Amino acid sequence: MSDPILGKARSKLRKMGRITLVASGKGGVGKSLVASSLALTSASRGYRTGLLDLDVHGPSVPRIFGFNGELLAGKGGLIPPVINGLKLMSAGFMVGRNPLLIRGESKFSLLSFLLAITDWGDLDHLVIDMPPGTGDETIFSLRVLRGVREAGAVIVTTPSSLSQSVVMRLISLLRGEGMRIYGLVENMAYINCCGELLRPFGSIDDDFLRDCGLRILASLPIEPSIEERIREGRFLELPEEFRSRMDELLDGIMGVR
Amino acid sequence: MHEWSLAEAVIEALTQVMEQEGARRASEVEIIYGEMMELELDILKFALEELSKGTPLEGSKFTFNEERASFRCNSCGHRWDFRQVHELLPEDLWVSEPDGGRESPIHFIPDLAQALMVCPNCGSRDFEVESGKGLRINKVILEV
Repeated sequence: MSDPILGKARSKLRKMGRITLVASGKGGVGKSLVASSLALTSASRGYRTGLLDLDVHGPSVPRIFGFNGELLAGKGGLIPPVINGLKLMSAGFMVGRNPLLIRGESKFSLLSFLLAITDWGDLDHLVIDMPPGTGDETIFSLRVLRGVREAGAVIVTTPSSLSQSVVMRLISLLRGEGMRIYGLVENMAYINCCGELLRPFGSIDDDFLRDCGLRILASLPIEPSIEERIREGRFLELPEEFRSRMDELLDGIMGVR
Repeated sequence: MHEWSLAEAVIEALTQVMEQEGARRASEVEIIYGEMMELELDILKFALEELSKGTPLEGSKFTFNEERASFRCNSCGHRWDFRQVHELLPEDLWVSEPDGGRESPIHFIPDLAQALMVCPNCGSRDFEVESGKGLRINKVILEV
């Protein structure tokens, strides 16, 4: 007999307009920042948008959005907090600062419940913030999204050769499992220094782009003010240039047929 | 209160099985649920009956069996059950319900026990949940 909770998670995903996994094989490249900014931009453009934090060991969404209130539940399950029209869900909302020691099937079960009993309502766009690597969360996502036509991934990398080599493994995995990849996000690509664009980590290699067969949907600047905004609880006010790049990324994703 | 969303999950799973098997109706359905979910069976049963109305599942007999929760510490080997630690769950982490009630997050996602509990003997967070979480359909009698 099939798992009713996993089945419910699948059926909820099938009803969503578009699903974007924000993933990278590498840690520390800015996945959560990209996922949160993309979701915020999507909501501000009028798409009914949700942001699901699947990084259960290191959830960032509660901190980025400064949500530390108590979750509510209703007849349809957990009610996602809504900030600027964006619906948020993270295991981090329920565990506080406690570490979560979980693996294997228990983690699959947790992720199934998180998806199945969240009352998302009708969504045009669900953005999923993935943890680094190709572990349980990635395997879960591949299984639960198999056959969901409107799902795809954006791969976040920095221009560093180390990041590119790790990211290539994830691309290979996703392709092999039939997951559509919308394209790349080049994060920490440049810094605007008095009008001059400096590239401290170089550029993404042409060889890498040719090998992976993907295009760069957005190149994001190093923007120190974002950290400041998160610290001060002002993440919702994205810097103008960053916001423009997010608009381009969103157009690139929503334009895929 | 999330018994309704669980009931929806059960009905969807049963409907899928009935379609696959070409069944006309399900005369009996046995559901096993973990103790950690602390389900209100009256609500779950009512929700299942309401959601079954007008479907081939209308009139099915739903029975429920609770699986007791048990835990084993990987650090000191101590074993314990849910009742021994229920009062020790964090007091600052709750989910609020419309009736003014408050439930532990474990009620909604039992696997969160791995973050909200420690071994009552040695305080380690490295423990196994051996049983008593989740919900499954254990048996269904179909009529074709």
